[in-house]
Amino acid sequence: MASTRRFPVELGYVLPLLLLMLAMFILPIVLMLARSVTQPEWTIEHYRSLIETSVYLRVLGRTLRIAVITTIACAVLGYPLAYWIRGLSPQRQVLATALVVLPFWISILVRSYAWIVVLGNAGVVNRILLDLGLVGAPVAFLYNELGVIIGTTNVLLPFLVLPLFAAMVRIDDRLLHAAESLGASRGTVFRRVFFPLSLPALAAGSILVFILTFGFFITPAILGGGRVPMVANALDLLINQFARWEAAAALSTVLLVVTLTCFAISRWVGARNATS
Amino acid sequence: MSRVLLTASSVLALAFLCLPALIVIPMSFSSASSLEFPPPGFSLRWYESLLGDPRWLLALQNSVIVALLSSIIALMAGSLAAYGLVRGTFRGRVLIEGVFIAPLVVPSVIIAVALYIFFAQIGLLGTMTGLVIGHTVLGVPYVILVMSVAIRSFDHRIEQVALSLGAPTSTMFRRVLLPNLLPSVFAAWIFALIASFDEVIITHFIAGRYDTVPKRMFNELVLQVNPTITAIATLLIVLSVIAVGIIVLLLRRGGVRMRSLT
Repeated sequence: MASTRRFPVELGYVLPLLLLMLAMFILPIVLMLARSVTQPEWTIEHYRSLIETSVYLRVLGRTLRIAVITTIACAVLGYPLAYWIRGLSPQRQVLATALVVLPFWISILVRSYAWIVVLGNAGVVNRILLDLGLVGAPVAFLYNELGVIIGTTNVLLPFLVLPLFAAMVRIDDRLLHAAESLGASRGTVFRRVFFPLSLPALAAGSILVFILTFGFFITPAILGGGRVPMVANALDLLINQFARWEAAAALSTVLLVVTLTCFAISRWVGARNATS
Repeated sequence: MSRVLLTASSVLALAFLCLPALIVIPMSFSSASSLEFPPPGFSLRWYESLLGDPRWLLALQNSVIVALLSSIIALMAGSLAAYGLVRGTFRGRVLIEGVFIAPLVVPSVIIAVALYIFFAQIGLLGTMTGLVIGHTVLGVPYVILVMSVAIRSFDHRIEQVALSLGAPTSTMFRRVLLPNLLPSVFAAWIFALIASFDEVIITHFIAGRYDTVPKRMFNELVLQVNPTITAIATLLIVLSVIAVGIIVLLLRRGGVRMRSLT
């Protein structure tokens, strides 16, 4: 009597949104993936030209390099910051996390613009450096990879600090006291107990930063001044300038695969963290 | 010694995070037309040039229309779907929820390229309808996340009491569920509203001749440096701070802790 089985009412509530998302989100992405291998007929030509054209390889290589450096910069800046916040009094913890969250809510456009003011040739930093006589000519912070990395690090640092801090708070102080009472020095306690316990969260946060950097568009466009195109900027050119949909579809697929793979890894790391 | 080092590096990192906001706000009141910091004098000229420019006002109008329409669609369809997902026992819920959350994970530029090619073929490229659809897709994950938490924390038995006393489902929704979840509904709506109002990438690809505030800002920033941007940036910061304040208040009143969202 399977045919008389009741259609679950709750599924009816889900249906309108499900149809919308299938039609306007999943379908376009699937069609794009299909386009990268079926135009004009079944082919891997578009992927081969991605590999064989040095421009794409350069853009992919640069994106990878910027993503790795940004991830390292966020970890180096973010880990001590999260550790420091953990040691503050509860009220100060709230204040410090509020300061970490605040930039989250300011448009990336605005934040990128601010770096032009700060780091430009006539910007604050360069004027200070010149006045102090540390440099003879303005340092080129902007419109190169350095500028893009400063911008991406600034935008992505909260994504690392917040989950890391949340994980560090959960580390039981009694474990640290136990290690100390057994004669371990503070350095040893950190190295042998605290750091290993915080490592999964650091790894998950770093992967998140890496994924997000890979899809960056606004920061490289503004702080790179068009000279530091990343994958997303290459997609912009392919679609909006050259109308090369197939190449864009293939490049998007590569970006999607990298993103989803990293995301799966971070979920796996996170799940292991939760069970251990 | 290492404690001092830790504090110093942490304070520097916090300063690095907050520097952009600290710089932009005073810049917007600068009397100079160069990017001088600190500003040589106080003036409202950039606010005047912003409000006196019909192109910015038109962009603002488009932004508001798109943000209102897309956030309301996302809120209504999303809340209903969140209810179905939380209370339902049908199979495939995890997968469906994954589809709803995915726009948060998939890089915006991929959604932008996919929608561009798709809309170009069905004639929605460069239309208001297409723009609203794109922004709705982006707002959905926020509504699902906020509303799922809220509905899960609401006692299922209260709904059952209303239904067993003879209220039709629609009455139960309107008279029991909605009043209790109102703070979270507002919070979800503001999330979706901001997601749309801040959106650059998808708009840049699919909006055609339609300008929104962020799209216009982006185009101006790529071309040249114009201090008018600082005025709009400051207004956006003020707007964000107000919105965040409202969200935190609403979620606290709704009994939902921010932490349970992340």
